Amino acid sequence: MAGDTAMTNEAAGPSPNVDPAIFSSLQAKIDQETGIKDELRAIVDTLSKQGRVTQSILSRVHNTPTAELETAVLVPCADSLAAQAATVKTLADAASKYPFYKWNNIWQRDMQNVVSSLQLHDWLKGGNLITLEEVGQRLNVPVNVKDEDTFHITIEDYLLALTYTIEELSRLAPNAVTLGDYARPLQISRFIKDVHAGFQLLNLKNDILRRRNDALKYNVKKVEDVVYDLSLRGLIPKKE
Amino acid sequence: MAGMKRKPEDMANEPAATPEETKSPFLHIFETFRAELDAHHDRRENITKASRDVTAQSKLPGSHDEYRVRELGKPIHPSISKTTTPMYTTIRNLLQSVVPDLQSINTYRYRDRITGGIQEYIEAVSFQHYLETQRIMSFHEAAAQLPEGIMLTYEDYALGLFDMTGELMRFAITYMATNGKLPTYSGDDKSSKSSILTDMQDLRAAFEGVNPGKVYPLAKEFESKLKTTRQSVEKVENGVYQMIVRGKERPKGWRPDTDTRGGGESEAVESY
Repeated sequence: MAGDTAMTNEAAGPSPNVDPAIFSSLQAKIDQETGIKDELRAIVDTLSKQGRVTQSILSRVHNTPTAELETAVLVPCADSLAAQAATVKTLADAASKYPFYKWNNIWQRDMQNVVSSLQLHDWLKGGNLITLEEVGQRLNVPVNVKDEDTFHITIEDYLLALTYTIEELSRLAPNAVTLGDYARPLQISRFIKDVHAGFQLLNLKNDILRRRNDALKYNVKKVEDVVYDLSLRGLIPKKE
Repeated sequence: MAGMKRKPEDMANEPAATPEETKSPFLHIFETFRAELDAHHDRRENITKASRDVTAQSKLPGSHDEYRVRELGKPIHPSISKTTTPMYTTIRNLLQSVVPDLQSINTYRYRDRITGGIQEYIEAVSFQHYLETQRIMSFHEAAAQLPEGIMLTYEDYALGLFDMTGELMRFAITYMATNGKLPTYSGDDKSSKSSILTDMQDLRAAFEGVNPGKVYPLAKEFESKLKTTRQSVEKVENGVYQMIVRGKERPKGWRPDTDTRGGGESEAVESY
């Protein structure tokens, strides 16, 4: 068996069986993509910090009387959202150089937070639901792009943001009562039931959107309980 | 008349409440969303199904016929390729069928759905390439094996190559068990070729030199794949050692008698 032994020690010739060039180009590709991720991550970190400021401002809605909402919450919130819009523009410019769906997991959650803040701000301001197109105009980025590989806000981002907004409003309903605003829960109840009706139209699969949608019914029930408590005690203000 | 039942006409007189249902102002918006999401789900399901079928094809028992290859450096023998070639054709057709769903912005959107199938395919074609040339298939050679419109990422290539080391291990062990030695190379540049064991050791060393970085999915799976590759190499190392040491006890030319009909038939089956 001397031949077998020699076989295992034979040196590689001019055409190597395992070409080192394969692995050096693999490493170069890995390093390149790590650089891209770092570049995008830096911008998203800025957006994330700004998002926390915006959410901190919006959190004051739970202990601010409705009459003072404009000056105490809505104005500083609009300022913070404007700063976020500028960062989103920077992110859009950087991210549009690369395949959208390869990297969108980096910014997805933070973009959803921006959209949710916009939705909540607009509802508090005028009782309206900002549309996907309006979000795009406000942030100066395209939405629901299908034929061009560029940064955009997806339908899923908008819908997931909407579930966060509904969750926040369901928390606001009892807090509004605590602050003496007995009309607010009824407005919230109508709005989230309308949104929930819209969600019922969707044929959702078993993914994150479905899980978020399944949680909506608990928010609807929570606000319905508040409205029930108020109506039971005759506290809902009558229309003049 | 305490027990008297209520008459049907009494029930008919009970007033039925019919509260007016207010239509949601957002239904139109959500109808648009529904159409978009349904199209998205359909594409995803098509790709998932194709990927599973590709994986199933790659794992058919017939694919193991390649373990019967007797020499490296030659085209696959017809008795084996008649089984494997139709499998590759089926796989290419499956991948071709989802090309329209993977274009433009959607190239990466469904990557997590197609990646399993592509890795299986890369594993299969790179294993066959090794059997025919005793050389590791390069990234560009692997990409050329996929239908036009299906993109090969370096992650799928690397992970497929990791899995191929498992195939090499099974081939080497099977070959040693059947033939009592490692496979020989019979190509034109015979003198320059090392053994399959050396190749596996080189592959392991090359992978150990790679820093997977932080980008999903390679960073996530790299460590576990490398561990498995190390185990595969060690199995072959141990197998060669046992073959050399314990093989001394075996009479020259002896073969395991696996055919229940007798030694003579076994000889016939083994030859080409």
